[in-house]
Amino acid sequence: MKPIGFLYIMLVMLACVPWIIDSRYIFHIATMITIMAPMALSLGLMLKLGQLSIAQPALMGIGAYTAALLATKLGAPTLAALLCGGVMAALVALVIGPVFLRIKGVYFVLLTYAFGEVVYLTFQEWTTLTGGMSGLYGIPKLSLFGFRLTLAQHYYVLGLMFTLLCYFGIRAIEKSNVGAIITALNEDEMLSRALGSNAIAWRVAAFTLSALIAGISGGIYANYIGFLSPDPFGFRASVDLIVINTIGGTGSILGALLGAILVVPLPELLREAQQYRLLIYGICLVIFLVFVRNGLVSLRWPWGRKS
Amino acid sequence: MLAQMLVNGLLSGLIYVIMALGFTMIFGIMRIVNFAHGEFYMIGAVVVFVMFGMLGWPFFLAVICGGVAAGMLGVIAERTLFRRLVGEEMSGMIMSLAIGIILQSLVLLTFGPAEQMISRPFTGVWSIGGAVVPWDRTVVALGALGVLVLFHWFLKATRTGLAMRAVAQDPQTASLMGVESGVIYSAAFGISCLLAGFAGALMAPIYTIGPYMGEMPMLKAFVVVILGGLGSVPGAMLGGLLLGLSESLLSTVFSSGIALIASFAMVMIIVIIRPAGLLGRSAR
Amino acid sequence: MTQLLRVEGLSKRFGGLAAVSNVTFSVENGEIFGIIGPNGAGKTTLFNVIAGYYRSSGGKIVFDGTDISNRSSDQIGRLGMARTFQAVHVFKTETVRENLRRAGVIGRLHSPFALFASSTRHRVVDEEEVAEFIGMRGLMDVVAGGLAYGFQKILGIGMAMMASPKLILMDEPAAGLNPSEKKEASLLVRRLHKERGMSILIVEHDMPLVMGICERILVVNQGKQIALGTPAEIRSDATVIDAYLGDSYEFA
Repeated sequence: MKPIGFLYIMLVMLACVPWIIDSRYIFHIATMITIMAPMALSLGLMLKLGQLSIAQPALMGIGAYTAALLATKLGAPTLAALLCGGVMAALVALVIGPVFLRIKGVYFVLLTYAFGEVVYLTFQEWTTLTGGMSGLYGIPKLSLFGFRLTLAQHYYVLGLMFTLLCYFGIRAIEKSNVGAIITALNEDEMLSRALGSNAIAWRVAAFTLSALIAGISGGIYANYIGFLSPDPFGFRASVDLIVINTIGGTGSILGALLGAILVVPLPELLREAQQYRLLIYGICLVIFLVFVRNGLVSLRWPWGRKS
Repeated sequence: MLAQMLVNGLLSGLIYVIMALGFTMIFGIMRIVNFAHGEFYMIGAVVVFVMFGMLGWPFFLAVICGGVAAGMLGVIAERTLFRRLVGEEMSGMIMSLAIGIILQSLVLLTFGPAEQMISRPFTGVWSIGGAVVPWDRTVVALGALGVLVLFHWFLKATRTGLAMRAVAQDPQTASLMGVESGVIYSAAFGISCLLAGFAGALMAPIYTIGPYMGEMPMLKAFVVVILGGLGSVPGAMLGGLLLGLSESLLSTVFSSGIALIASFAMVMIIVIIRPAGLLGRSAR
Repeated sequence: MTQLLRVEGLSKRFGGLAAVSNVTFSVENGEIFGIIGPNGAGKTTLFNVIAGYYRSSGGKIVFDGTDISNRSSDQIGRLGMARTFQAVHVFKTETVRENLRRAGVIGRLHSPFALFASSTRHRVVDEEEVAEFIGMRGLMDVVAGGLAYGFQKILGIGMAMMASPKLILMDEPAAGLNPSEKKEASLLVRRLHKERGMSILIVEHDMPLVMGICERILVVNQGKQIALGTPAEIRSDATVIDAYLGDSYEFA
């Protein structure tokens, strides 16, 4: 069996761990991993384009608040609200994409940084809509085809399914002709355009997909926690995502997944020593930037081959 | 009312200029966006907290130490970490993020998360044209002006300053002229962090001191630099004053939150329409 | 014969400087056409305006019946005009085979919308076939960055072919090549024309090369056109001889 097969088996076993231990706390951590993993994948998609986007958590927030508001203020069915959240985030990306994505390199990062701050501040200041810093309460539990998801276990399964959908979906795209086009755009845009590629259309498409994923993650988060505040959608969250992708391996979809599995539980596991969390993130970043440049995925696995 | 807004705007504007100068310098010379810039500001304030607040040393001595400590840390960071990533803009940015959070966590671990206050070295106010000007803010403004003058002299009149300007314009030609880029990078980074640390040290008595205090100044510096043009020193000055004044106006009329949103919206517009900012080179 | 490309009164100004003024010519279907001129004559600018990288300051460009005067380079690419680069552009980290395959894929799937359209407009070109034609069959699995410069340029031509264009614009194909590489490149271009009936527009600095393969030539100097005709006509044109290096210049 190819090495990646072993890795998948290990991941499946890891996924079963929460049921073996059967602790609510472990289920919570596991669910958070499955919510953040698609976010990491969404950033990973942008990194494949060669554009580091700091806007992903903001897009997640847009999805979260849209879903929450539709469900609480308009009484919309939760599944529809969730999907609308994703669609809203995707629409925002579709609108800003053609303008933002023409700009490359450092300036793009700064642009998405500013955008992220504007969205965050809007969540904070528009208190009549979002409840500002005090938060939006009373988000109903998700109801899927008559079944109400009330327990952490339920959200874990949902999150897991969504993560797998995103992971295999993006992998499929990566291996297809579309993936070749995206890679070509990143390697040499001028050449791609000379060959007839509508570069900006492809970039916007990828950005919109990444926003859809982020928006839906946001909606799931809103339903799971039941309460929203602007906090999880600010710059800090982007730092987390960058740490995850750098450690896992920039530009690798599997890397984003592995990074999430490794990094997301840290704040919980370090509950006693929260102040060490930042230090560990920082040191890990430095190590992976300087020494293990291509992330975890590039390390040699015990059975001899890079996956 | 107007006079007060103007005074407030100028006072905060000057500090923004100092912050922005260092930030824009590093970008102009090394093409690195230093996300840790705010943490060097914080280090300056922390040094003042320890020396002036805890040990009782003279205020101005503590301020100078704050700047120097930040500067030295900057040089160390540059030589050990950034040097390996020369030319890689993305990795450089992520590295600066890493350094920022490491500095934050070190301060967090040493002093705890609570914000501290130190006694004000200057009290009282004076007034001009109907506006009330606190003395401590005045000292900050004078300190900032002093630094600006020194910095200007440094860039124009010293060999290192000239070398820096050369490297910023054209690294290859500069090296042909015998400018050793490694030394210049260290010096530039060091001075940039020194400026940030100095700003933080001066501002230490004004508000509170804590591990996260650098985040807001960093945001402001960022806005100023985009406004004025990444890599442009006069741009940083112009941008700083503009931001200070517009913020003062908007916070008084609306709220500080709205003022901040407006600043970032402006950043987005500038990056899209004229990335070179008001005075920057349109080198892109 | 139909006019594939028609350029009328084309001008391009950069501020006060007129890089190209009032150039008029046409390229027939199935023709090899050359544009030559001394350094700084404005031929590169002319090339870039036709290919859509610069907006013209005046005049008209019509390609295969469509007015492309204000279109962007990728739009023009999709209309069937391919280009090669003076400084070589290939996907350096990929193999020759992958480079050719990608060129084909990019040409077929030019935007996400193309995923949904069942486009039979583009004939599917086989990369093996193109590789065979350009003489790189044996190098299919070599990483492009490791090829000799001359081969990289030939690969560039192959990639342009993968899009089945109606017209290939070649920007100084001989630039950077040694004499034997130049000979190979020029043979390939001639074969492309004769065996595939490809219409080609070459902008070149190398006079003998252009005289050797082009059917008609436009000579530009200081942005203005000074002669238009067959190689024989150009060879004996007094203004052309004057423009190049004085009357002692020898043509190949």
